[in-house]
Amino acid sequence: MKAKFSTYLTEVAPGLKSLIKELNKSYDYVSILATDSTGFSVNASQKVKGINGNNTLMSERGNVVRVYKDGLYSEYAFNIFDKDNAAAQAEKIKNVLDQQLALLTETGSKIYDTPKLSDEKEELFVEMETMSMPEDEDLDKLMQKLQGFSDAGKAKSDEVIDCTVRAQSTHVCKMFLTENRDLRQSYVISEGSIVMIGIRGEKNDFVYNGISDREGPALFDKFADLVDVSFKELEDNLGSDHIVPGEYEIITTPEVSGLIAHEAFGHGVEMDMFVKKRALGEEFIGKRVGSENVTMHEGAKVIKDVSSYAFDDEGTLAGDVIEIDKGILKTGVCDALAALRLGIKPTGNGKRQNFEHKAYTRMTNTMFDSGEYTNEEMIASVKKGYLLSGMFSGMEDPKHWGIQCIVSRGYEIIDGKLTGKVVAPVCLTGYVPDLLGSISMASKDYESFGSGACGKGYKEWVKTVDGGPYLKAVARLG
Amino acid sequence: MTDKIIEILKASSADAWEVINTVTEAWEFYFIKHELDQNRVRDVEHITVKVHRKLEDGKFLGTASEEIPPTATEEEIKKVIDNLYERASFVKNPYYELNSEKVEVSSTDVDPRAVSKAYIEALNEVPETSGEFINSYEIFVEKNKRRYVNSEGIDATVVSPSSMVEVVVNARNEEHEIEIYSMYKAGTCDKEHIVSEIKNSLKYGKDRLSTVPTPALNKATVVLPTEDAGQIYKWFACKMMAEYKYRGYSNFEIGKEISDKVKGDKVTLLGLKELPNSSSNGDIDSEGAKTKDMYIIRDNVPENFWGGCQCRYYLGIKDSYVVSNFQALGGSRTEAELRSGTYLEVVQFSDFTVDEITGEIAGEIRLGYYHEGDKVTPVSGGSVSGSLAELMNCMYMSKESKQYNNMLMPSIIKIEDMTIAGAE
Repeated sequence: MKAKFSTYLTEVAPGLKSLIKELNKSYDYVSILATDSTGFSVNASQKVKGINGNNTLMSERGNVVRVYKDGLYSEYAFNIFDKDNAAAQAEKIKNVLDQQLALLTETGSKIYDTPKLSDEKEELFVEMETMSMPEDEDLDKLMQKLQGFSDAGKAKSDEVIDCTVRAQSTHVCKMFLTENRDLRQSYVISEGSIVMIGIRGEKNDFVYNGISDREGPALFDKFADLVDVSFKELEDNLGSDHIVPGEYEIITTPEVSGLIAHEAFGHGVEMDMFVKKRALGEEFIGKRVGSENVTMHEGAKVIKDVSSYAFDDEGTLAGDVIEIDKGILKTGVCDALAALRLGIKPTGNGKRQNFEHKAYTRMTNTMFDSGEYTNEEMIASVKKGYLLSGMFSGMEDPKHWGIQCIVSRGYEIIDGKLTGKVVAPVCLTGYVPDLLGSISMASKDYESFGSGACGKGYKEWVKTVDGGPYLKAVARLG
Repeated sequence: MTDKIIEILKASSADAWEVINTVTEAWEFYFIKHELDQNRVRDVEHITVKVHRKLEDGKFLGTASEEIPPTATEEEIKKVIDNLYERASFVKNPYYELNSEKVEVSSTDVDPRAVSKAYIEALNEVPETSGEFINSYEIFVEKNKRRYVNSEGIDATVVSPSSMVEVVVNARNEEHEIEIYSMYKAGTCDKEHIVSEIKNSLKYGKDRLSTVPTPALNKATVVLPTEDAGQIYKWFACKMMAEYKYRGYSNFEIGKEISDKVKGDKVTLLGLKELPNSSSNGDIDSEGAKTKDMYIIRDNVPENFWGGCQCRYYLGIKDSYVVSNFQALGGSRTEAELRSGTYLEVVQFSDFTVDEITGEIAGEIRLGYYHEGDKVTPVSGGSVSGSLAELMNCMYMSKESKQYNNMLMPSIIKIEDMTIAGAE
């Protein structure tokens, strides 16, 4: 079925177009992003359960106006709008933005002069396919289903303290309007996770496994497979030791490969960082940053997952960029304003946490290309090292190309065989070109992961997806 | 709008209900160096409704919540509340009671323009050179008006300030350039504090240009003199959360010392009603409960679990609340006394984390100082790791304290026997 576009947005569109017309009297460029995205989250566990509406990361209803004059872009975000009184709203917006400009004059602040965005005529109306809609979901049945998974997880062992199962689904509707552009899109994303917590003696540990797709709540049937996987991993973690720090050969699962893609060359080539001179990547365009085995794509069109939209939050159509081609850094990704400042075309990566937040260059789907080997062949090639599995978190340093990835566990490999010994957690650190330069094998697999969220620094949380194949590399572990 | 929702809730079949209405007026400024990249205003209202329903003769209490758009019609509100009443029947949590004590509240008015001006002026006052300078900064100033109403008679409205500044500073020499990232949160702008902190960042930036790879120390004594140390105290605070205890994530017990192997300083942690210029001050918590000063852990002995009313009810804890200001008390020695011998002082991590469940510590070192008596060597690379459940036995906190927004804590913490993966 098709995800039907928001009736609310359809109704307010004429009023918002009137607002644009009013603001165009005072500004040289005006756009509005209007959103009406509704969703739910359901949590089941052995202790506390919950059903919450419109509390998913992408649930929102509101508008953000962007205006331009004299080289400066200003924005006003609001969620109360009288569609029959656009003139009063325009006056309110102009007044408060003028107050801000007066303050800037008072403090002697200069403007970062930026060219005007183009406003070529474009119309788009997209209602994407979905297997089911969140609005139609029977939440009673879903709660019972999730509780069943939680009970199955708890029943695995007395060592399992709890098994929390979370499911959330959002019907995303966005409308981007200017004097000449009218873009509307509607799609559904769903994601879920199992967190299994256990105790053995004095040791507590937990595992996390997620699912995600640009799909409806039908996705949640996939939880059944994750209960067994989560329990095995929990047992592995509870029986683990700490790693002896050092440099090792590593095989990364697709999830960990995705974490490396995201932290190594995801943030590092967000080109708003080039504008601020905050990324070393700018100096390496056209140069080698990885081995021949490294090809990486980024863009909303790369795969179908939770960050696969038709246009971004600045009205730029979705793209598919080859960032690294056989080890050579080709380009980065870019939002509309950074593109103007750099004199290039935007790539459809201008994203906001929601209508209240500023648009930055952000990742969508960041994926390593697959290779020619099997996972087994790769493990057999390791003399001494670890198969790294599961992710906790990551952090980048685009200015210095440092990388930090906290990985859930490592399975020891000696002379091409898994020994059964597990270390946890594992902190992978290093210099990005060294790490990518050491990638010597890639598997035929190709998996994406989108159940988490990504921040810019320590804020601006958005849905992103990453992944790829199993990779073989050399890294420093601690 | 909120009054209309309350009216509809009172007429509904809900056994209990809560409404949280937040109106935010925010001013934001984004600078590249000292040139304005963008200015923004947020003028928004958010209303969340929770409906509670007794199930099976009051054995269970079902709860469902939803954010209702401020533009919703009366008909839409009624539909949402009917849906929530039905959904609540799918959520069989053990019965609990909402907060009911009425508390006198006070407000702190705020002028976003004045606070924004103070921040812009503060950033302009930072002494920069061609080698150490501000790369970019983002200023966020909020005036929040929050009304909490529930079916048990609480109806309190509080106005409070909140602000945040993200600052990136760069340092460069002829060979390369690095950056130091910092985020400062507070109620309003404390100019002197902000300028002083950014000056420190500039110094750290300069030092980072001349680092050597962190040696493979394997095990070492580590000193943490920055806000990162707050993650250590946060782990103890999490262990004392009513929800963590109820869910079985915490083995801490009231009156029972958390370790019998301690050779260093013991942890004393308090919840505070107020801290100077904290963005978390208030007479009531997020669920309308009265805030106060209280010991959470005293000398390694748990005294009070804290958290929301649901899990507190399950644990039989009445006199507590959702703490949002914390204080960790200092130890028996001064900062100078703790800074002795051989140790690794880490002032910048890529991301310093202490896992809330396991207590596992991890962080890549962006800038550290390896102290060997009088010899001090700036280092970078490699990582710090270890298990806090074990390391809490050999922690030492300074007598001096320092505040980071809603956390007042010892100015430094010294931890022995941490694992260091070197970068050599």
